[in-house]
This record gives sequence, C-alpha cells and structure tokens, in this order.
Amino acid sequence: MLHRSRSLLTLISKMTGRTWWIAAFAMLAGLAGMPVFSWAQDVTGVATAYRDIPQLGGSRNIIWVIAQLHLLLAGFVLGVPIFAWVCEIVGWKSGEKRYDKLAKEFTKLLTSAYATTALFGGILLFLLIGLYPKLMGYLTDIFFPSFVVYCLLFLLETVTLYLYWYGWDAMQTRTMKGFHLFLGFLLNVFAFFIMIVPNSWATFQASPVVLSEGSDIARAWAATWNPTWWPVNVHRLIANVVLGGFICGAYAGVRYLSVSTSEERDHYDWMGYVGNFIGVFGMLPLPFAGYWLMREVYQYNQQMGITLMGGFLSWLFILQAMLIGVLFLGANYYFWLGITYRIPGAEAKYRAPIMTMLVILLLCLGVWMTPHSLVASLEEARKMGGTHHPLLGVFGVMSAKMTVANLMILVTFMSFIMYWRAGKQETATWAKVARAIMGAVLVIAALAVIVLGVWGYFVPAIIRINYFSVAAVSFEMFVMLTITPLTAVLLKSARTTTEMVWGRMPPRAGYALVLNAVMVILLMTLMGYARSSSRVHWHIYGVMRDSSQYAFSPALGYAAAFMALNTFLFCLLVAFIFWVATMGDKAKTGHGEVSKGKLPQGMPAMAGGSPHHPERG
Amino acid sequence: MSEVVKLQLIGLSVVGMGILILLFIRAQFARVIGFVAIVLGLFSLVALAVPQMASLPPAEEKFDIATVKTPTDMAAIGQKIFFSKGQCALCHSIGPSEAARCPDLKGIGAKLSREFIFESLTQPQAYIYLDYRHEGLPKEYPARMPYINKNPIGLTRNEILSVIAFLQQMSGEPISVSPSELEVPGQAPAAPVKAAESAPVTVAQAH
Repeated sequence: MLHRSRSLLTLISKMTGRTWWIAAFAMLAGLAGMPVFSWAQDVTGVATAYRDIPQLGGSRNIIWVIAQLHLLLAGFVLGVPIFAWVCEIVGWKSGEKRYDKLAKEFTKLLTSAYATTALFGGILLFLLIGLYPKLMGYLTDIFFPSFVVYCLLFLLETVTLYLYWYGWDAMQTRTMKGFHLFLGFLLNVFAFFIMIVPNSWATFQASPVVLSEGSDIARAWAATWNPTWWPVNVHRLIANVVLGGFICGAYAGVRYLSVSTSEERDHYDWMGYVGNFIGVFGMLPLPFAGYWLMREVYQYNQQMGITLMGGFLSWLFILQAMLIGVLFLGANYYFWLGITYRIPGAEAKYRAPIMTMLVILLLCLGVWMTPHSLVASLEEARKMGGTHHPLLGVFGVMSAKMTVANLMILVTFMSFIMYWRAGKQETATWAKVARAIMGAVLVIAALAVIVLGVWGYFVPAIIRINYFSVAAVSFEMFVMLTITPLTAVLLKSARTTTEMVWGRMPPRAGYALVLNAVMVILLMTLMGYARSSSRVHWHIYGVMRDSSQYAFSPALGYAAAFMALNTFLFCLLVAFIFWVATMGDKAKTGHGEVSKGKLPQGMPAMAGGSPHHPERG
Repeated sequence: MSEVVKLQLIGLSVVGMGILILLFIRAQFARVIGFVAIVLGLFSLVALAVPQMASLPPAEEKFDIATVKTPTDMAAIGQKIFFSKGQCALCHSIGPSEAARCPDLKGIGAKLSREFIFESLTQPQAYIYLDYRHEGLPKEYPARMPYINKNPIGLTRNEILSVIAFLQQMSGEPISVSPSELEVPGQAPAAPVKAAESAPVTVAQAH
C-alpha cells in the first residue's frame, strides 16, 4: 500500500516537473492548429461557419464551461503571483519568516496550477477552432501578430516562474534575495501582459473599432486598442488579486477546520487572516473599476449599456448586488470574529460599533438589491400608480445604488481599521487630535457621499455619471489615503494591551472564508455571462452576427445553473491542485496519514512548510 | 414540466444534499463540499426566482415585397420592426413614460414630415432633439440616437420606410409612404428620400 502510494507520488512529482512540457505542448498545439482556419471548408468548397457536438450539450455550452474554467484558473494563476510577491516583500521588509514561507508555498502551487491552466487553454483553443471556424478565422486574420507575442510572453513567464520557484532556497542569501524579488516582479509583469493580450481579443468582440488598411501589426494594434480594453484590464487585474486572496483564505479555512494541533490551528488562522485581508484590500477599489468599465461601455454604445443595465440583463445586477452584499458581509463578519475571538476582552468594547456596522450593511444591501421596476399584474400596477412602486422607484435607481455601494466600502474599511487598532492603546501625545481628525474625515466623507447621492436625483444623468460619482469615489479614496497612514503612524508608538491570540476562531470563521471565495468565483462567472450576453446575437458586436442555433442569450435561471456548475468544478480543480501540492510534502518527510497522529507536532503545515510554530521575527 | 421547474428541483436537491452532508458526515472536507453545495443551490434558486427573460436574436425577417399590397401592410411590418429589430422601444415610449430615456414618440408621425423622420433615423446628429422637461434652458437628450441604417441595428431602406408608415399610422395620420417606393431586390434602388427643405431647423418638443 505504502509502495503504491509512493509510486503515485513519484508519478505526480514527475508530472508536475513536466509542467514546462505541458505548457509548451499546449502552445505548439495552438500554433499547429492555426492553419486549420484555412482548411475550414467542406468538400463542396463552402466555408464552414459552425460545427456542433449536440451529444455533449451543444457547442455553446461546451465552450461556456471550458472557457469559464480556463478564465478562473488564469485568474488564480495570475492572482497568486501578486499575492506571493507581496507576501515575500512583507517578509523581507519585516523580517517575519512566516510571510516568506507563505509566499513560497503558494508559488509552489503555481507550477501545477499553471500546467492545468495551459491545458484548459489548449482545449479551449482546439474547441474554438473546431466549433467556430469562421469566427476564429476572422479573429486570426486581425490578431495574428498578437498571437505570436502571446506565445513569446508565455515562454518568458514559464522561464521566470521556474527560476522564481526553483531558485527560492538558493536565492535566500542577502545578495541574491534582491534578485529573487526582481524575478517575482518580472513574473508579475509577464503575467500582466499575458492577461492583457487575450483581453484585447475578447474586448474587440464587445467593442470593435473600424480597421483601416495597413500592415498586419498596425491593424492588430488598432484592434487591440479598443474602447473597453483598458477598463477590462484594470478590472481583471484587481479582481485577480481578490480571487487569489480569498482562495488563499478559503484554503486556510478548510485546513483550519480539519487540523488537530494547536500549531497548525495558529498557522491556518493566521493564513486565513492574511488571505481575507488581501481579498478585502483588492475588493475596496474593485467597484470603482467596474463603474469605469460600465461607463466606457455606455460611451462606446448606448444600446449595449442599456441592454446590460436596463434591458434583459437588468435583473442580473440584482443578483450581482446580492453576491457583492454577501461578500461584504462575509469579509466584515470575519473581521468581527477576529476582534471577538483573537483579542480577549475586546468583544464588549466593540459590540456596539459592530452592531451599528451590521445594521448599516444590511440597510445598504437592501437598497442595492431593490429592483427599479417590478413584474406586476395590471391590478397591482394600478394600485402602485404605474409600473414603478413609489418606494422602489426611489431606491431602485443608480443614484441610490452608487451611494450604498460607497457606504458599504466605507464600513468595510472601518471594520479593518477597527480590527487593526483593537488591543492597542495609543501613547502618542497627539493621539487625541489624530483620532478627532480621523473621525471628522470619516463623518464628512459619509455625509458627502449621501448628499451627492440625494442630489444625484435632481441632475441629469450625465452630470451624475461624470461629476458626482467621480466626486464620491474621490471622497472614499481620500478617507483611505488619510486614515491608513495616520493609523499606521499612531500605532507605531502604541502600547499593546492585549496580545492577539491565534487559533481561537470558531469553526464558522473557516466557513466564512470558504463563503467569501465562493462568492468571488460566482461573481466572476456571473459577470462573464453579462459581458458575453451584452453582445446579444453578435460574435463581434455589429460586425459579425451569430447565425448559429445558439445565438440567443439564455435566461438568468438557466445561466445561473451553469455558473453554479462552473464554480463547483473550479473549486474541485483548485482542491485537487492543493491536494497534489501537499501530498508531495507529506511524502518527503515520510509522514503518511497513519503516522500523523503519533508525531508530537502533527504533520508539517503546508503553507508554513515546517512543523514548528510560525516564526515571528 | 417546464425548464424552470426542472432547474428548481435540481437546485432544491443540491441544497438538500448539502444539508444531509452537514447533518450526517463528520469528515471536514466533505462538510465543506456540503456547505458549498448549499450556497450554490441557493444561488441558483434565487436566480430562478427573478423574471426569466431570454434574449432571442431578431428574426432575419425576409422583407417579402410580394406580400406588401397597401400602406397598412407596411405599417404592420413597421410595427414589428419598431419593437424588435429596430430596438426603438428600448429607449422611446409611445405615450408618457417615466422609464423612457428618449423623446416620447406619440403623435410624432403627425408632427414631423416623413422626410424629416427618415433623416432623423439615418443622420441623427443633423438636428439635435432638445429636452424641455427640465427647468431652465432646454438640454440635449443624454441618450444619443444611433444611426439606424448602420450596424448593430442596420435597418434597410425598406424597413425604415415601414417604420415611418407605422409612426404615421399610430399618430392618426394618413400614411404617405407607398409600397411602390420599396426597393425590389435585383432592381435599381428607388430615388433617395430627400430631407424636406421646409423641415423645421430645431424641433421643439411639445411639452
């Protein structure tokens, strides 16, 4: 049994060691498949526009699942290096080794996750070539130069990843650490470009530009620089950080629930905190990026904007509000649990502010989820005095929703600040003044957001969109950029009254972390459907019509079933990747499940990589 | 059994399975799977509870000139286009509506000449519609009228003439567009509809 287990481990180890070959194979397969575009003709010489596999649910559904899984994996693979690099820098600057170990273990995951992502990318490419030859032929004709760039970037990313991962231990010396950090930086630079190149293909489909005659490179460049390219780039970059953070949190949550030793509980509790913090850190600016994207969509084509926000997709945004609301609640709830359980004695002090925050968040969520119009019978409409309920008419509009979104961001930010300050007593002579300034900044910003929101009802939409929303966002940023450094300086000289105790969180904290990750993944699948459906019956909006039998956009219920399926499959894939990664560790130390219980310090912690208590400086 | 009911049953089963796992299984990883199943099942059920609207592609309607005998036939086709391929109703209302983003088109066929309507559809920036509902000076409508004869809407000349016939008919006006003006495929196109020289330079909305 043990022998068989070792054989399996050796095989898996060999497989993960061949990540390079899998990635290279996927790319070569993609390049080799390109001539197929020109072969996409049947025997009569008429170009084939579509092929179908109805036995597997139809071409559209197959592409839906594979593309979604590829995109989620890509988000994970591009988000984790940011997460790992930030942790490595924190560990290097602060001298806390546990951050470095955390970064290393997550980088290790990249090797297997990278191969899986490339594999799904290869499958997606083959399927697209086979099922949508006409569309792929058209896109290849425009974007071929960027395909080549993409392949080169992939090679550079792979080389950098291997140097970064395999050189981790060798580059721990003082002189080499700087180079290793530079490699991490390069890894993220290449990853960023790997993200934005395919973004140009997808955004061109949604917002194509007129292509004049010119060289291949000039045409590809013109098509790349389409109106929604940069808004999507920025939105996805931030969303990938959020995904990486919350998946790290979810992993820590699952491990926290299942470990038996106090060392491991301490470690995974801490890891959950770091993951949640990075997720929240990215989540705060994400709505602003989303708002910018939607504004660009409206500017590019009003019909597309209306289809999204006021047409058949309008109810999708109520679901989005629900998911974001639950995510905000989950993230805040985790902070509040931290205050209650990790800082003994803080519960009584913070109970009232926590309850106030909870009420504000619930009220805001209620407003955000209010639909603008209802499906009402004639009788009901008559009673309401029109299709708009008097109350819903007030809360269902964009002005109200923007206001509550901003307030929820403020509350979440203050939850974090509260957590940061808990258990510490400021000793600086100017502490009182600083607290007064912070309080004033917060109150003024909250009032300004509310005033702008109410005022927004009485001005034309264009004023609200161009000036009021920007002003509200500026107030939020001002709060964050003022209170964060002020708190940091204030706490530098603060006295710790209560030490933070790790490993005391109740099991529901682990579930809260899992919930946050599921919400983020669901949100990505939901908005993927929105972006794709906003093109309605066009492959390339206004340029190439979808004339297949799948040209319709399914209703939300049907789409949600696919979103749930994709989320579940992605969670299983990620769990598998984590499992494979940790299995190698167990084998190395020779501790199987059988011997785990006998060891005084349990099995080695995956993220800490050491059976010892996490080092703290 | 409708598709929605089937999906609701699947959603309920997933939630039920998740609850059973949490109740009877102690293994933590399985319990987490049960929890995720409950979350995903509930999400699906909520999504199934909101109005189910699919977006069907507009039928690539064959404008069969042989079936168009009278101006009323044209108006009937124009009405279909107004509410489907033309996407006019996405922004315009016929009669006052709070939801409308653009001018109310009730009676527009009586207020404007057919030439002016044609120009408004094909050269929407030639004359800017002003919104008089706000206090103070009238402002341009925030929503910009698209070129109806270009993609993504891309109505043909025949389709635009039919929409004009519909607008005139619903305004109680005699239809001034004739089936004889329709372009027959394969034949030389009819003379373009000219913008009326006497058309008003700025259109004041009757509010």
